Amino acid sequence: MSTAVHALRLAIALTAALALAACEQDNSSHDAASEGEAEAAASSSAGLPPGRVAIGEQLATAKGKATGQSCVDCHGPDGNVPIDASYPKLGGQYADYLARALQDYRKGDRDHALMTPQAASLSDQDIADLAAYFASRPSQLRDLHGAY
Amino acid sequence: MRPLPLAACLALVTALPFATAAQDAAQPAPAAEAAAPAPAAVTGDAEKGRQLTYTCQGCHGLTGYKNAYPSYKVPKIGGQSAEYLAQALHEYRQGKRKHPTMRAQAQSFSDQDIADIAAFLSTLK
Repeated sequence: MSTAVHALRLAIALTAALALAACEQDNSSHDAASEGEAEAAASSSAGLPPGRVAIGEQLATAKGKATGQSCVDCHGPDGNVPIDASYPKLGGQYADYLARALQDYRKGDRDHALMTPQAASLSDQDIADLAAYFASRPSQLRDLHGAY
Repeated sequence: MRPLPLAACLALVTALPFATAAQDAAQPAPAAEAAAPAPAAVTGDAEKGRQLTYTCQGCHGLTGYKNAYPSYKVPKIGGQSAEYLAQALHEYRQGKRKHPTMRAQAQSFSDQDIADIAAFLSTLK
């Protein structure tokens, strides 16, 4: 009996170790110095097409049908001057994170009174382009590396 | 039978540091998982926030670090506004934003912790 318990514990410990090891794996791309266009184009988050900065710039200033607002109407020029403190800065944020946020809004996995309707009509290509554009802008954001 | 105990030791040695880290993260205050939002009610203390965010470095401190699943880069959070950051943490805590790790982290934070963390991160340049 105690052997069975032993084996069970062992199995749990092993599973935990394996799961943790798996979590650690995707740690390869430490070189994020090149966030701009190259980075944006390379990031095909969840099967998105490559993003095009120039097209994204046009989309960023186009009024959305659902809200009558463009991205920069609320997030400011370059996505860096939000008109409300609860709106995020977008400039220089990782393209694949931005794309994911738009996909989540479009899918209903994230909810916001303006962003949900705004994202509803975006195509995958629109999302990739917008993400590429805002990722290519100057940034006021940083990660926590060396912050302490 | 020999290899099994060996494997167990190995697994434990691997898992233990993570378990400790997880406890550290949970330590600050499993307190007020209060009724609902009211994020504006508390004033953040950036110095306390600095300490609370040590564990955040595990993901947000590695430049270009990617979630294993879902796979995208962990966002840059330093320099966002305190309001946005607090809102994000509240939404993760409530499950309105879906990310298993961030939800678990946020659930270990009180309203005060969230205000402190947001205050600190918003000061980073």
